[in-house]
Amino acid sequence: MTVTTTRPQAATATAARAEGLSKFYGVDEAAVWALDNVSVGLQEGQFTAIMGPSGSGKSTLLHMLAGLDRPSSGEVFLGDVELSSLNDKQLTMLRRDRIGFIFQSFNLLPTMTAAENIVLPLRIAGRKPDEHWVASIVETVGLSGRLGHRPAQLSGGQQQRVAAARALASKPEIVFADEPTGALDSSSSAELLGFLRNAVTELGQTVVMVTHDPTAASYADRVIFLADGQIVDEMHTPTADQVLDYMKRLGA
Amino acid sequence: MFSTTIRQMLAHKLRLVLTTASIALGVAFLAGTLVLTDTMGLAFEQLFGKVSSGTDAVVRAEAPYTASDGVGTSRGPIPASALAAVKATDGVRAAEGTVTGYALLTDTKGKAVLTSGGAPTQGYSMPSDEKLRGDVELMSGTAPDSADEVAIDATSAEEHHIKLGSSIKVLFSGPTREFTVVGTVGFGGEKNLGGTTSAYFDTATAQQVLGTPGQFDSIAVSADQGVSQAELAENLSAVVPDGLEAVTGKTVAQESSDAIKKDLKIVGIMFMIFAGIALFVGSFIIWNTFTMIVTQRSREIALLRAVGSTRRQIMRSLLLEALLLGTAASAVGVALGVGVAKGLKTLMDAVGFSLPSTSLQLEPRTIWVSLLVGTAVTVVAALVPARRATKVLPVEALRESTPGAEKPSIRRAVIGVALTGAGTTVMLFTLYGGLAKAFFGPGLLAVMVGVMVSLPFAVRPLAAMIGKPLSWRGLPGELAKQNAMRNPRRTSSTAAALMIGLTLVVSMGVFASSLKHSFGDVISDQTSADLFVTTASAQGAGYSPSVIGAVEDAPGVEQVSASSWGEAHFLGAGSSYSAIDPATAGKVMNLEVSKGSLAALGRDGVVVSRSAATQHKWDIGSIVNAEFPATGQHRLHVVGVYDGKGWIGDNYVISLDEQKAFAGQQLVTSALVTLAAGADKGEVEQAIATALADHPDARVQDQKEFEKTASGSIDSLLQFVTMMLLLAVLIALLGIVNTLALSVFERTRELGLLRAVGMTKSQVRAMVRWESVVISLIGALSGAALGIGIGLAMSQALKDEGIKAISIPVPQVTMYVVLAAVAGVIAAIGPARSASRVDVLRAVVTD
Ligand SMILES: Nc1ncnc2c1ncn2[C@@H]1O[C@H](COP(=O)(O)OP(=O)(O)OP(=O)(O)O)[C@@H](O)[C@H]1O
Ligand SMILES: [Mg+2]
Repeated sequence: MTVTTTRPQAATATAARAEGLSKFYGVDEAAVWALDNVSVGLQEGQFTAIMGPSGSGKSTLLHMLAGLDRPSSGEVFLGDVELSSLNDKQLTMLRRDRIGFIFQSFNLLPTMTAAENIVLPLRIAGRKPDEHWVASIVETVGLSGRLGHRPAQLSGGQQQRVAAARALASKPEIVFADEPTGALDSSSSAELLGFLRNAVTELGQTVVMVTHDPTAASYADRVIFLADGQIVDEMHTPTADQVLDYMKRLGA
Repeated sequence: MFSTTIRQMLAHKLRLVLTTASIALGVAFLAGTLVLTDTMGLAFEQLFGKVSSGTDAVVRAEAPYTASDGVGTSRGPIPASALAAVKATDGVRAAEGTVTGYALLTDTKGKAVLTSGGAPTQGYSMPSDEKLRGDVELMSGTAPDSADEVAIDATSAEEHHIKLGSSIKVLFSGPTREFTVVGTVGFGGEKNLGGTTSAYFDTATAQQVLGTPGQFDSIAVSADQGVSQAELAENLSAVVPDGLEAVTGKTVAQESSDAIKKDLKIVGIMFMIFAGIALFVGSFIIWNTFTMIVTQRSREIALLRAVGSTRRQIMRSLLLEALLLGTAASAVGVALGVGVAKGLKTLMDAVGFSLPSTSLQLEPRTIWVSLLVGTAVTVVAALVPARRATKVLPVEALRESTPGAEKPSIRRAVIGVALTGAGTTVMLFTLYGGLAKAFFGPGLLAVMVGVMVSLPFAVRPLAAMIGKPLSWRGLPGELAKQNAMRNPRRTSSTAAALMIGLTLVVSMGVFASSLKHSFGDVISDQTSADLFVTTASAQGAGYSPSVIGAVEDAPGVEQVSASSWGEAHFLGAGSSYSAIDPATAGKVMNLEVSKGSLAALGRDGVVVSRSAATQHKWDIGSIVNAEFPATGQHRLHVVGVYDGKGWIGDNYVISLDEQKAFAGQQLVTSALVTLAAGADKGEVEQAIATALADHPDARVQDQKEFEKTASGSIDSLLQFVTMMLLLAVLIALLGIVNTLALSVFERTRELGLLRAVGMTKSQVRAMVRWESVVISLIGALSGAALGIGIGLAMSQALKDEGIKAISIPVPQVTMYVVLAAVAGVIAAIGPARSASRVDVLRAVVTD
């Protein structure tokens, strides 16, 4: 395993970790091993990017870590909670209270305004949003003038920023994002990534992001490379060029 | 194209099942109605054929027209002396006089053998000639042949445990007599003659107890071998004295079955209306389904258009789908129809219309009418959505569009409001502004259509109002409200189906309630009676006039004023009349006689209602031509005009003596009793009750009891109508299930997203459930409001007919609304479950 690390990170607590995680789809000969015995720890207060060729299992890994899907074997821990021990309701409440999500698209409920979408998980939980906190997020994401708009009235970039604000509004332990900039142009991407970076640096938020884009990965503290359902490498405080180089080699 | 259509239909099985069911139920009702009326018609035809099968000709009094009066006759009597001439006529093998009349059986304990649904209780003379009895056959014992013998119908004997040899009392128009039961009678294998009871006497006894000695109602004639009915009737016509006629047995059987069929037709039309309502409601679901199909497929349709399909092809494929669906659903409906016919018959039996039975008749006409109607309704309902499909532009194939809120158009609002406004105005003018009553119906229709057209605009405010308490339930409640509002057209057409059902049920409820209250008011305002002598069973046609004498003799009774009722031709058209006792009526009834008086009725007087007097410009002394089947033409003089319809609702009021002279002895329908000064009401009631022990066809009631009996019959009628309308409500609920299922399907991604960010399964279920409740309540509340309005308007429209009070049965209406909400919860069970099972990843994975 080639370790292209520049600077090892100081050991901190893990926000989430996977142990011997496998996921396969289908049966017998037709079975596809989307994840093959993956073990990984995600540090608290870190921005982690997951990269790899298409079909390498990035999304699958993210879904397992985020409790959106159940593994075929292996264990996932969020803090010290083992996810497979939870029933559907407990898992759902865990997602609601302790995890934030940003998906590639269709992040928002079309019938609700931006403001309503931001506090959605809190409202689902029946909790009163922390007004100051929400206001400060809205401020940083730069959505102040758009709060009353519905998703259809927002641009793709604005929609993703609303999603990011939502992910942070409930002060989750960890935020998962699957190609959040996949459908955005470079300046919108930069805005969103800057915002996530900021959340990690200034608020100590833990963020895990799947991306295809080396530039996006360069915002992360650590990049994990996946290929054929296995972790093949990782990189710390990478630059876009380093990532690009590595990806080229991996793809080749 | 054809196979694509089929594949698409099968792809959404639930939708297929629900839309099929919604049409099939309506068609089933239609087919069931047709099957039932055909069956009943045939059964009666067979029955009358059987009963008169041995009679080749009948000699009877001529009548200006044939009136059906149950199984009895309304013709005048003929002299017994005519029999000799008939017997001597060429071709006559046997001839016997027949007599028919009121005869109420009692059981061995003296309790009346009452019929349900007001079926007649009749007595007949039993011919001694076996053949003349037709299919009236002795099932046990012997035929009556002396003055104290009676044979009774086998059903009464069985159900009331009347054994051969036992002694029973039989009540007549005249004095009650005691008989020994010597035989039981069946009718061509049937034990039951349409729910009636029958008593058979020998001819001489029958003349005494049912008619008048020396007179017959008719003469039944049996032909010699080889002489046809027509020949016989011809021969007889030549010899019968003036005023008599001879007709074939077939003619008489035909007349009887025609008369019954006319009554059945009314029943058939009534059921047909309910079937029509069910189909109408079902068409909303079809409309909705096709709208959703078009929305969901708009990309695909646009793509087809882009690659060159013409609008016509698109339209044709959708209509083909409707055609297939309609035909299949109608076929299912026809199959179910036979079951529905059975159910309806059971229901009719339960409410007291016992009908002769024969095997269920599924005529080819039933099949094709049902198929045609069901298919036509489906295709017509799909027409508008199909037209909309043709307007999908090719560019829409490229557009990523979430299926969603189409704003209802301004034109729609204008049309809806204009219709509702115009309809309301017309109705108000017919009620209060002197516009002809004929405009009331169209006005009502305009209001209903107007409300349906503008309902989409009411969806938002209504949902907001209904949804208010839902905010209490947190986010799922809030989202439920928003989801119900997001496609107002869909929500409104789903709710409209329920609205129609509720409108009908509630308006009937309001009308019935007003009727009941008016009846109470009428009793207290228009009569000053202390006690009422009524029929023993609520639907009984009347009781023997001999009851009046018995009541008059009871201690403490000051006066008894009897009244009767009948039908005759006035000015050449059939109309009902009331018959009263002129000597006493004025004191116990307040009919608001504004001109002349009831006491002046005499031998050829008539008191007419204010409305009839106004319409025909009648005044005291005007001549009214009346025609009775028994006695023909009578020139009646107007001797009074009365203003207060209510206790009496007929346009014509004559005296009991006139009725007896014109129509023969008839039953008394009710009598008003006043007490002697100082008499105790309770004691007198007891005394009358004792006096009535020998007259079990009548009972005494005080005002409260009388009111209660009357409300009871209104209530049972209302229950029957409500049950029929529930079918429409049931179909509407299927529509809600359908809409919810489709919405859930459309919102898969949203549901996945909600689940991903932490909505639990039970919260998702609650969300769908509350949406369903909001939709049902929109339908229920608008239906209740509209129903109350229409019910009140109907009551007001009949103000002149005596419905003076208006009353809204608040608990009942509230119950309907609550039930609708509960039904909404039930309708949501399936869709809520599938919504909660949506795969979380469906939202996350971009396809
Ligand atoms: N529901 C599924 N059924 C069957 N196979 C699946 C399913 N989901 C994922 N796979 C397979 O698992 C493997 C990993 O998929 P995954 O979506 O995790 O890849 P990815 O790295 O996110 O790819 P991309 O960059 O294209 O999003 C792929 O081979 C994919 O075909
Ligand atoms: Mg992926």
